Amino acid sequence: MAAGTPSPCADGPHFRREGSAPLTDAYDTLGFAPVFDLDGPTLERRHRELSRALHPDRYAGRPASERQRALGRAIEVNEAFRKLRDPVGRAEVLLARLGRHVTETSAAPASPALLMEVMEQREALGEARQQRDLARVRALMRGVQVREQRVVAEMTKAFVQRPPDMARIEALLGELRYHRRFIEEAAGVEDDLDASPA
Amino acid sequence: MLLDIYDPKAPPTPIGIDLGTTNSIVAYVSDGRPRALTTCDGDALLPSVVHYAAEGGVVVGRAAQARATREPERTLASVKRFMGRGADDAETSRLGSYRFAEPTNDAERKVVRFDTGGRVVTPVEVAAEILKSLHQSALDQLRKVGGVVITVPAYFDDAQRQATRDAGRLAGLEVLRLLNEPTAAALAYGLEKRQNGSFAVYDLGGGTFDVTVLALEDGIFQVRSTGGDSALGGDDMDRALAERLLASMGANDDASRTREVVSLALAEARRAKHALTDAEAVELELPARGGGDVHVRIERAEFERAIEPLLERTGRACRRALRDAGLEARELDGVILVGGATRVPRVRAYVEALFGRAPLGDVDPELVVAYGAALQADLLARASDEVLLLDVLPLSLGIETMGGGVDKILPRNTTIPAGAKATFTTYADNQTGFEIHVVQGERELAGDCRSLARFSLKGVPALPAGMARLEVEFHVDENGLLAVTARELSTGTTQRVEVTPSYGLSDEAVERMLIDALDHGEEDFEKRRLADARVESERVVLATEKALAADADLLEPEERQSIEAALAALREALAGTNASAIQARVDALDTATHAWAGRRMNRAVQAAIEGRALTDVERRVERAQGVEAHLAAHAGRGH
Repeated sequence: MAAGTPSPCADGPHFRREGSAPLTDAYDTLGFAPVFDLDGPTLERRHRELSRALHPDRYAGRPASERQRALGRAIEVNEAFRKLRDPVGRAEVLLARLGRHVTETSAAPASPALLMEVMEQREALGEARQQRDLARVRALMRGVQVREQRVVAEMTKAFVQRPPDMARIEALLGELRYHRRFIEEAAGVEDDLDASPA
Repeated sequence: MLLDIYDPKAPPTPIGIDLGTTNSIVAYVSDGRPRALTTCDGDALLPSVVHYAAEGGVVVGRAAQARATREPERTLASVKRFMGRGADDAETSRLGSYRFAEPTNDAERKVVRFDTGGRVVTPVEVAAEILKSLHQSALDQLRKVGGVVITVPAYFDDAQRQATRDAGRLAGLEVLRLLNEPTAAALAYGLEKRQNGSFAVYDLGGGTFDVTVLALEDGIFQVRSTGGDSALGGDDMDRALAERLLASMGANDDASRTREVVSLALAEARRAKHALTDAEAVELELPARGGGDVHVRIERAEFERAIEPLLERTGRACRRALRDAGLEARELDGVILVGGATRVPRVRAYVEALFGRAPLGDVDPELVVAYGAALQADLLARASDEVLLLDVLPLSLGIETMGGGVDKILPRNTTIPAGAKATFTTYADNQTGFEIHVVQGERELAGDCRSLARFSLKGVPALPAGMARLEVEFHVDENGLLAVTARELSTGTTQRVEVTPSYGLSDEAVERMLIDALDHGEEDFEKRRLADARVESERVVLATEKALAADADLLEPEERQSIEAALAALREALAGTNASAIQARVDALDTATHAWAGRRMNRAVQAAIEGRALTDVERRVERAQGVEAHLAAHAGRGH
């Protein structure tokens, strides 16, 4: 339902964002060079340091407008952290920096092979749910998690390539989203089965 | 007893309050250590029970509890369960001696209203009575009391948090912060022990269960994930046992389960539960239906069987919280127990089996949350930078979409404060309005989630479908409280709708209720307003002086002059008794420091980004040297 952010349609590393685009650029906000291969602990540490500088608690007793401004920046930092923590978010931000705004609805259609595979997995999940087979649900989830990691590894390579192969990156992003959704769904099924043991 | 010398110039002492389902506690920090204050019952624990006496007046605590059996309908216990809930919530029909007032309009349907025999009260008002009593105890012992940190279960949704904050305001308190209970507990533990690592907090209180996974690193507590059940706790153990007692008493149908009988069964169940902590069996004499007594013997094993389903529910929440944090149980460095119900031996054994390690319990599980709240209040009042708590959103926030689905705008476990925007377009040609329904929860259908607010944005220009654009912005502050803004973007004319959830009280409503509650109404209220303005502006003066000492180099000479002038003007106003004048001077100082504040913030951010490289190197060296060297290097820092 969420419509895409308006695309400025400018190719190259520099682009202008329109009013409704998502807050600020996540890499700039956290002071990182725009690379896909971002080390988790480094990201977390930067987030902590910036939180230490900007968290509203640090501004207790300060004048109202200063508190308000710190709050706004703390929100930007947290939003940037949420984005960059997730490979899907990192890919979206990097593509946006290259002038490509890809949302789920505007993404290119997936390859028939991937679609077939996803359908089979979902069928298997449906069956496991029906049979209340918690072990099978977890096994399916683990299998897709392994796939997800493989896609992230390929994406890391694709982003390092010069010039980056945009079509390839977008296809990988699409695949990553499929896996992500499957894992979320499987987690939901796991919760349901766990909550009402047969 | 030591003679307390009262220094009238001493700053007010901030306090922390654990507003519990069963008991409430108020604590403060003295010499860096948290201490619980004695409540009106002469004990640290104040039963969260309020009695509305027939002769007028309100009684809180044990005195109220004592009247519960005789006048159950005038006595309200476990009211926390109803905070922020609607009259038609499933919760209202559970076993318990409550009498509800029939709602007569839509506004009344949105909140639970108790009929206490002539006087109708809301959970917010009842909680305010408990807070007032605790505040009075603090005043009696500390003379001057500052701001308050009130704890809430991490799993509380926005409505429940708003209601808690409203109760604080209604009690006339300056609420510095709403703090999640498990985070408070971790603060109490972490500060005393200075540990790094990952921890789980298992908090089984009277009426709520929370599990939180958090990481402690370099003085920053970060909540990784949180889960639980806002309607599960020690009370449910009492209820499970009370069911058994009621059956023994022959009270098997609604007619025989009068409020008096149910109250008695619950009280006996609670007694039995406590006794079974040490004893293997407990014997009870209960009145039987139709006269006479019935003898009941309950063995610990039977009690443990009765509570097993409750423990299983906590186990599921724990597994989910671990999964959300991306951790296995064995990767944890410790499990902290919170809440009186964790004294039950079976609970401890269950937690040990679940996490594969014996839980920590060396801080009193009933006081640990209040201790953490007091420590946080102290840190906030001193604007200290020793410790920082980074909390997360407990439940996803979203908007209902076509077909009753939910579009999640902010997923659960997002670090707060948080904000996000989403853009929506029209479905139909010439559609001139958007209906927006804000919900909170994890379920796929909006109908299964908690409804927070509904509002409509009208006056959208008539355009073809998909052309009108609506931008919705969610904004969650550091207390976890939500504000929603909607703008219509297509024509450049911006409409803005601020949404205050329907259950929240407006500032005017709180002011009116406060004036009504005071003996001398307006007059007392003006005095309070002046006192509040003074406390607030003294803090602003201090903060400005501190900033001048640290960052004067970022000032232009004329800027510095205008700030000094604004400071002097504020000090002058502080000598007077005009609250509005003080506020005006605070605003003027705010304006004078505005640009400078932005430069100071940039400097802080820059330092955070650049400073990292330095700590990075240190850290690598530490790793190479091993853990012992790291500990030795930090040993000097603790108390």
